[in-house]
Order: sequence, then structure tokens, then C-alpha cells
Amino acid sequence: MQIGYHECVYTFDGSFEGFLTVVFRAYDDKREPEAIISLDARAQLPMGEIVHVETSMHLAARVRNGIVERSDQNNLRLLHVTFLAESTETNVLLWRYLKKLFKEAPGSYFRNMLDAEVYELIRTARRVKREAHRFQGFVRFQRTRDNMYVAAIDPDHDVVKLLSSHFRARFSDRHWLIYDTRRKYGIYYDMKSVQEVTMAAQVFDLNTGYIKKQARSMDEDYYRTLWQHYYDAINIVERKNHRQMRSSMPGRYWKYLPERNT
Amino acid sequence: MKEKVLQKLNLLADAAKYDVSCSSSGSSRSSSGGLGTAKSAGVCHSFTEDGRCISLLKILYTNHCIYDCAYCVNRRSNDKPRASFTPDELADLTVNFYRRNYIEGLFLSSGVLRNPDYTMEQLNAVARKLRYGHSYNGYIHMKSIPGADPLLVHEAGLLADRLSVNIEIPTEKQLQILAPEKNFSSVFTPMNQISQGVAENKAERRKSGKAPRFAPAGQSTQLIVGASPETDYTILKLASGLYHHQKLKRVYYSGFVPVNQHDNRLPALHNPPLVRENRLYQADWLMRFYHFSYDEILDEQHTQLDEQIDPKLAWALRNPHFFPVDLDKASYEEILRVPGIGVRSAKIITANRRFGRITFSHLKRMGVALKRAKYFILCRELPAVTAKLYPEQIRRRLVNNNIQSGAGVQLSLF
Repeated sequence: MQIGYHECVYTFDGSFEGFLTVVFRAYDDKREPEAIISLDARAQLPMGEIVHVETSMHLAARVRNGIVERSDQNNLRLLHVTFLAESTETNVLLWRYLKKLFKEAPGSYFRNMLDAEVYELIRTARRVKREAHRFQGFVRFQRTRDNMYVAAIDPDHDVVKLLSSHFRARFSDRHWLIYDTRRKYGIYYDMKSVQEVTMAAQVFDLNTGYIKKQARSMDEDYYRTLWQHYYDAINIVERKNHRQMRSSMPGRYWKYLPERNT
Repeated sequence: MKEKVLQKLNLLADAAKYDVSCSSSGSSRSSSGGLGTAKSAGVCHSFTEDGRCISLLKILYTNHCIYDCAYCVNRRSNDKPRASFTPDELADLTVNFYRRNYIEGLFLSSGVLRNPDYTMEQLNAVARKLRYGHSYNGYIHMKSIPGADPLLVHEAGLLADRLSVNIEIPTEKQLQILAPEKNFSSVFTPMNQISQGVAENKAERRKSGKAPRFAPAGQSTQLIVGASPETDYTILKLASGLYHHQKLKRVYYSGFVPVNQHDNRLPALHNPPLVRENRLYQADWLMRFYHFSYDEILDEQHTQLDEQIDPKLAWALRNPHFFPVDLDKASYEEILRVPGIGVRSAKIITANRRFGRITFSHLKRMGVALKRAKYFILCRELPAVTAKLYPEQIRRRLVNNNIQSGAGVQLSLF
């Protein structure tokens, strides 16, 4: 996060709609934001003129429609995924990109991967999607006494929303919850639909991701132990390759993985 | 009871670990109210300290075996503790691991208990329990036991997503030295039955989408590298045939790890041949994604892959007349041949050059390995001298480069 003097800083509530509202306002005000900061981002605000923008669903929808008109639905989805990277730099990049998209005649600008900004957006989206794909594997559910499956995650980017359709299709016959302990919200499936939820109390141990012993089902520790043993048994000692392991499964993801956090 | 399952798990996972296949891709099953899905893109759930991905619960039904293959840890003459699961235990383990999202599915292999039919029947019983007892729609990879009745193999195909029969030793002559009770027909008979089953099923499903699926993720096999004296050329030629004729989805190469007390029929190795294994995977990639044929990669004169440089670079150095490639005009296939340019970059280049000339900084951004590519492309920003180097000079530069950066062993293809 850049701290220091900025001529023009916009802040918003952290939602995609909020961001799109900023885009509308800045465009309308003919301003050039140097930083677009989510008030969610737990970051220090820089010095300078700060404009806070209240989220407007109406204005956000207008920007959405404008994006689809000038490119297509896939591109809107791509920009949303890019936004989930949650970086102030990416926000400014998105702003500059959208300004160009709206100024220039509708055409194929948005497809030109030789353009440095377009490429950077696509690369950021790829990074976010890659993390979401990783978490299709790295989510570890624990079964509770009342037969619900719950998991804690702490990803770099705001990917929990992107996990919804995968887990909904796979575990459609049980209640489940995937909770992001850093962003303090999660997705909950009640066998009908998936909803975003927040929790009043801290349910997960922040070092291990485990829920309290009284909350776990009777067989939970047994299967976890079996899994930990399996993990060790399937390793081939003669082929040890820690570097490869770490590059596929970076250390920052280990804390909530029972096979690595022992 | 629980203690016993833990012991069996330790023993029978340990005995399964030399099978390198881990893929959970290529299938598609929806859950329709039950448990689980199988997807066309596989998912890795964890990575072990050897750097390999855990996607499936890879496990043996039993490590009892009536055979005595020299390279196998479970051979009959080894004095080892033996155990077998029951179908209920394995189905329960799979479902409970799956529900916790530890795994993408089950990879069920086995030693041969009593006889091939009995063993195959046990494996089918596990899969039946999962599919019908637990309404499980997750991924199942099953070994087809060589010598099992074709009807049992057919049933396995209806239950599993993928079937595999391991060839292990790449020529029949060597196989018979190391595994006197086996021959190529015991391996190729079920393999051909499966590939025919898959082809017929595809045709049936084209007529009616309701026809039951038969091994929708196809079949794979494994070759052990370095346990017998076959050349890389022999191995690639075999693999190429398997891809073309049996339509295999994957051929896996497993660097031989000496698992038994020394046997005169096997080489004494201190370390598994990891670099050779990696080069074979790279060559395999060239055949599957880069439109290379096996006899372009190696031939009767060049029978071993170069350990110092990757096979694509080796091909380029042997074929200097093909280069330089003009990125602004060349076809996708031609661009794919440039060392340092991968499938993704080649696609980006061909799809975007209508917007302008491809420059050095574009390539850098795409992640092209310019260190290698710069000798083989036509690009205005390059110093003129690079395109005029002789193959030997390029090789010397790149090999020295590799040694400096310690990139001699790079195993990142899984």
C-alpha cells in the first residue's frame, strides 16, 4: 500500500458494486484517481484528497451494462475475477482499462493481449483463478456433531465466492460451510442454496483451522488421523523433493491442512 | 477394529506408492442428488514431500500376491507383513476422505490374491459398494487385473471412470526375465478389450445419451524406466503406439526405485533415474501437445534422450534448417516448435498478432523462455548475431547456463 501524498483518492466499501460505482463517479467527475482503496482492506489511508463513494446498485448496474455492451459477458466476468485480487494497484489498472473501454469506439480493444494493461488484467485474473482452483483441493472439511461439514480457509485473494458452484455440485446432500478467517465471511449451503454468511463468534482455531473438540463429530479425529498417516505412507523417501512440494503447495497454505500442520 | 484399519492403511498405501499415476481428469459425472462429481480437469488435494500430487486415495486392496516379479515390492518371496481390506472398509474410508475433501476419488490397485478373477471381483465389489451403497459419483480409477475374465473387466469399466493395466517392462523379452509368470498377451489382452469397449461405448452414446458409460476417462498404463536395458527410443516408440492404437489417455514413466534386496537380474542403482524420467515426460508432452512424432524426437541413430538439454531443444539443434521462425507469419504448428515457447504462448501469439508486431517485450510478458527462444526466432529487436550462431555454440551457451542456475533437475511436469 502506498502511503504518501495523492492528489485524488477514492474509497469504497470493498464490494464489486462499490468499485463500479467509483468508476461511474470518477468518470462523471472527470477525475483521475491515483488510488482506489477498499475500506475493507485494513490498510492505512494516504494523505490527500479522499473521496468516499457510497455504493449504488443502480449506478453499478449501468457500468455493468456498459461493459457488456462494449465487450461481452465473459469479459465482465473476467474483470470481476480480476477485482477479487483485492489490490489497490489492480483497482487503478481496472479503472484505466474501463476508461479506455468507454472512451474508444466499441471494438476489439478488450481482446488485444499485446496491450500491456489488458495483458496485466488477464494475468491477474489467471492468478486469482489459479488460487480458486487450488482451494478446490485445499479445503479441509470437519464433520460437526450435527452432521454439517465446515472448513476454514485463508487465501491470498477473495476467492471463496468462486468455490460455490464446485462444492455445491459435489456435496449437494449435506449442509456445509467454507469460511474465510481473514475476510471474516464465508459461504454456507443449506441443501437449497449457497449464501454468504458472517459469524458472530470465532468458531475456528486460527492456528489450525480446527473447530472445538465438543463441536466435532465422534469420528472426526479418527479420520483425520487416518489421513495424516496416509499422507506419510504414500510419500517416497528416495525421491524427496521439497522444492517441488513447496512450489505446488506454498507454506502459507499449510496451517489449515491437517497433514502439514502437525 | 479402528486400530486394524489404521494398520492396513499404513501398509497398503505404502505398498501402492510406486504407481505414479495420480490424474483425476478426463471424466464428467454429476451428482444427481448423491455424493460427488468427477470433472474434466483434475484437482490436486495435497502434495507429499517427494513433490507428487495427491489427488486420489491410492491404495491396494491387498498386498498378498501369487506372483514373484523382481521389480515389485509385493512379490511373493518378500518376507513382509500382509493384509487385505474388506470392500466395506475401503468404501467407508473413501467416502469419509471424500466428504472431508481430502481426495478427489479412489485409485484402487491390488496384488493378486488367490487368482486374477477372485481379485478383480473384490475390486468390483468395492466400486459397487461405492456407486450403489453410498450413491458415490466421485472419481474411481481401477486396475484391471491381468488374466481376469473379460466379463469382470467389462463390469469394472461400467463402474470406474478410468481403468489401467500396467505394462511395467517395455519389452516382452525383458518382462519374461523379470516377471517369468507374465507375458505381453496377459497385459495387452485386457488393454485391447478396454480400448475396444471405450470405442464402442462412444458410438453407443452418440446414438443414445442414456447408454451407460464405459470407462469415460479412458485408460492409462505405466512403464518402469531403468529396471531393464531398453533405450528411450524403444520406450517412446511403444508409448506412441499406445497413444495411437490403444488410444491411451496417459502413459506414465516411473524411474526405477530398487525396492527389494539386490537381485542379479536388476541394475544396482543408488538413486532413481529422475532426470531420465523427466526427459521422457517432456518427450511424451511433445507427442501429445506439440505435434511431434516419436521418430522426430529420437531415431535409430539417436536412441537416448539428452540429459543435459530438453528434447525440444535437442530437436531444434538437429534441425537448424527449420529456423529462424518468423512469429509474425509462421503457423501455429511452426511456432510450437520453437524451444522456450509453450502451447499457451503460441496460442496468444497467433490470436493476437493481427493487433501488431510481436516484440521482445510481448514475449517476455507472456513468459516465453527467451533464454532459449532467442536463438530460433526472427525478431527485429534481437542482436543480429544470435540468429547466426551454430547449433554447437547455442548448445554450449545453454548448457553452461543450466549448470549455473542449478536447473539440471527440474521435475515440474505433473
